[in-house]
Amino acid sequence: MQMTAQPAILPRSKSRPRTRPALTACALLLPSALFLLLFTYLPVFKVILSSLTVRGFRGAAHYGTDNYIRLFADQHFSTAVVNNLIYAAGTIVPSLALALLFAIALKETTRLTGVLRTLIALPMLIPLVAAASLFAFIFLPNAGLLDYYLAALGLAETNWLGDPSLALGSIIAITVWKNCGYYMLFFLAGLVGIPEDLLDAARIDGAGPLQRFFRITLPLLGPTLAFVLIIATLNALTQVDHIIVLTQGGPSDTTSMILFYIYQQAHQNFDVGLASAATVVSVGFLFALSIVSLRSLERGIHYEA
Amino acid sequence: MKRSPPALLLLVAAAAVLWFVPFAWMGVASIRHNSAGAPDLASLLPSGPFSLDNFADAWSSGHFPLWYLNTIVLCGGILIVQCVTVSLAGYAFARLRFPGQNTLFALFLLQLMLVPPILIVPNMTTLVALHLYDTLPGVMAPYFASAFGVFLMRQTFRTIPREYEEAALVDGASRLRIITHVLLPLARPGLTAFAIVSVTSHWNEFLWPLMATSSPSNQVLTVGLATFTAGAEAGSEWGVIAAGTFFVAAPLLIAFVVFQRRFVSSFTFSGIK
Amino acid sequence: MRLQLALAACLMTGTAHAATDIDLFFPVPVQGKLANEMQRLVEVFNKDHADIHVTASYTGSYDDTNLKTHAAIAAGKPPAVVIMSANFVREYVINDEIVQLDGLIQKDGQTADAFMNQFWPALKLNATEQGHVYGVPFQNSTPLLYYSIDAFRDAGLDPDHPPVTWQEWIDAAKKLVKRDGTTTTRWGLMMPGTYDYCGWITSGLAMSNGGDFYNTGYGGEVYYTQPSTIGAVRFLDNMVHKAKAMPEGVTDANAVTTAFFQGRTGMMILSTGSLSFVRDNMKTPYRTAFLPRAMVNAAPIGGASLIVPKGNTPEREAAAWTLVKWLTSPAVAGGWSRFTGYFSPRIAAYDLPEMKTFIADHPDAKVALDQLVYARGWFSTYNVVGVRKALEDGVQAVLSGKATPEAAMAKAQQEADALMRPYVEQTALKVPE
Repeated sequence: MQMTAQPAILPRSKSRPRTRPALTACALLLPSALFLLLFTYLPVFKVILSSLTVRGFRGAAHYGTDNYIRLFADQHFSTAVVNNLIYAAGTIVPSLALALLFAIALKETTRLTGVLRTLIALPMLIPLVAAASLFAFIFLPNAGLLDYYLAALGLAETNWLGDPSLALGSIIAITVWKNCGYYMLFFLAGLVGIPEDLLDAARIDGAGPLQRFFRITLPLLGPTLAFVLIIATLNALTQVDHIIVLTQGGPSDTTSMILFYIYQQAHQNFDVGLASAATVVSVGFLFALSIVSLRSLERGIHYEA
Repeated sequence: MKRSPPALLLLVAAAAVLWFVPFAWMGVASIRHNSAGAPDLASLLPSGPFSLDNFADAWSSGHFPLWYLNTIVLCGGILIVQCVTVSLAGYAFARLRFPGQNTLFALFLLQLMLVPPILIVPNMTTLVALHLYDTLPGVMAPYFASAFGVFLMRQTFRTIPREYEEAALVDGASRLRIITHVLLPLARPGLTAFAIVSVTSHWNEFLWPLMATSSPSNQVLTVGLATFTAGAEAGSEWGVIAAGTFFVAAPLLIAFVVFQRRFVSSFTFSGIK
Repeated sequence: MRLQLALAACLMTGTAHAATDIDLFFPVPVQGKLANEMQRLVEVFNKDHADIHVTASYTGSYDDTNLKTHAAIAAGKPPAVVIMSANFVREYVINDEIVQLDGLIQKDGQTADAFMNQFWPALKLNATEQGHVYGVPFQNSTPLLYYSIDAFRDAGLDPDHPPVTWQEWIDAAKKLVKRDGTTTTRWGLMMPGTYDYCGWITSGLAMSNGGDFYNTGYGGEVYYTQPSTIGAVRFLDNMVHKAKAMPEGVTDANAVTTAFFQGRTGMMILSTGSLSFVRDNMKTPYRTAFLPRAMVNAAPIGGASLIVPKGNTPEREAAAWTLVKWLTSPAVAGGWSRFTGYFSPRIAAYDLPEMKTFIADHPDAKVALDQLVYARGWFSTYNVVGVRKALEDGVQAVLSGKATPEAAMAKAQQEADALMRPYVEQTALKVPE
């Protein structure tokens, strides 16, 4: 917040031509631009082209919209989209709510809160595949950790990953466990920026804890919240490692997501056309998200800074 | 009201313990040997016997030394190149004025969204065309430019007073020299923050390295662990899997506990205050 | 100057002795023991063959190995030899990605027929296409019924007479179930229902139910809606929902073996390839039996064959062939079989004295061998992973009580047909006008 008014470039000696900053900028930006071009912009064009290329078995390729027609007719794709929406809602809402709760509870820095913060933040540091390896055992029916301790409460064995009505929920639980601590850190940093005397004043005016939260804390956390929301949305679309390790999208496609669908079409069914069309759809979504969120992303990082 | 209400704190403390349970199981299972068929397989306080055999088994089943090496090379290689690209670009956006600057900056930021896993399909063909498929540089290449890093460095450079570089400019130093000798030393906190975030995310990455390599000699820790967890036809030895998971997760967990404040401030970017 | 000479000498001897470097991709179960044994075998090979240097690379599950091989071929870096899931071989042939081995066999002065006759007849279907050899069987398996002797006794069943027919099977499963209030403390039967395993076991049941399941001669047809397949799926449905002897939903192989070791299931279906793993970890007595039959005894072949991808140099191809012959020689193949539990595809391996002793000492392995008489081909088609998944999604829905066998299989057939369509249109449907 403190770097708002930057003076424009300082006047230089008159001998330097006006084009100089542009040239220098070009040179300085070139390395980054080169790699962005090769691995971010060019791929977008390539994948659009490839999505419009129709290939058959032993036939010549031609241009057309067949891949999109097939994609939108493919039940596996619509299932993946619906699953992904449920997954996004199911991971974002609880992780953000929990993260906020944790952050508010652990706002003060004491030895105890320090330990608790660490415990909650630990999962964010391990690879998602490592989390998946651990949860493979935790979710094991009957013999696994969860069922073993639930049995003490008199609950019967549950097929957490193998029951189509529970599998997606179990995958969501892993994600919430894994990401919640990460989001908590942002909220903790955001809370530091809220002046304590504002809250004190509200308390003197007779505002209860809930009122203080909704009237003061939450609005002031707005930019942080927006920022975390965007990251969480991005995570929901781009992280499928645990699905690859644990369920392969099953049982019966109930844990398939858009990115997993792309992976499956490209590398199991070798259907590049479908994979490309699905990629274009996701890129389109991400592009739209960027346009909506670039400002708040920038503000979010500004705010933290 | 500075303190949180005790009830809330207690609730969160319970949650934190719950959050730690998977790690606790990892620890217990990995030191428990030959537990197949034991009725208290899932117990967090089992009766034993205990030994380090699972670690030995896991170490010999996987190619851990190779996986560690590849992962370190991968993270290190990406970071070194990134430091160059993001410092230069960060400087350009922070200090120079040129036509199209805002548009260009927005274009850069697009990369925050269009992450390599989403672009697997076209990026694979690019790697093949560049003869980089199934090489570690191929896995690294898409990350050599980092929008996040550029952003972070721009912010960091802006917090540094101009007087430092003005003096150097007057002395006739080139821009490159100013960046490397004047600004970068002052921007250390920003760079450290970026390094921690970069290394953490690439250490933990799975899908892209899985797709961009095929030879086991190019496998990284996460890819190795996945082949380790999902075997072909037989069942799994849970203790060995727990030990293998420990090998993969331990370095960053330990680093986090030791350098906690650094990590936390890096993740929340407050390191550049 | 002297230094340069020495260097040159070094270089020359270096080239004179340069070994042909080849790589071998291999999938094996997770246990390190098997991966280590494969590395040991390769070291022995390298020691015996000064002119060849093999690097063995563990490539994960069968599906992962397939994926990595495809990717490596597409990138122009084909491995020299791959231990490939036997039912994927056909797709490599269709896509013209692997070497037809007839030429190499003939160079050794043998005919393709004589070569294949050294292996169990059931393996021929997945190793050859239209009479030409494309894969050399290396480690093979069939699904096997494992049962716990204690559980059988406890349920009043005779461990000397395991179920032989489906009727006896479902009866035994019902008797084995043990409940404590609402929780089941012991199931009658468990089987892996995850992708890959699910399709394999279902195909075995359909074959046992009198069907063919797939067109053994042509990669464009599967028979998911035939009565034999519907009946097989209905049987699984009954096992779960009528007999309530098998847990609902999808169970993976890890959960199945863990339950078997803990005494929480009386029977399980698992590959013969898991024999060693079960032997090492099961602490109470158990036995194995044939997959029970509906109409005929039948079990699909599983496991893997050695293939040589196209795109290698003639030197590498020749070296690859030497490795393939060595790995499938009776002594090596027999040793690998004893170590893993897979049966040895090479018939002569069982004539060796050490193999005779082993079979005499391990009745569980003998059952696997005896079942070979009834073994059938493993279903293989164009786009086989997708075609298999179509069936598996259906079977999983049935196991979870979300669909009827008829509806699930109708959908599976429709999906499978769509996946094979591009191939079918260019082959069976492309007829002279």
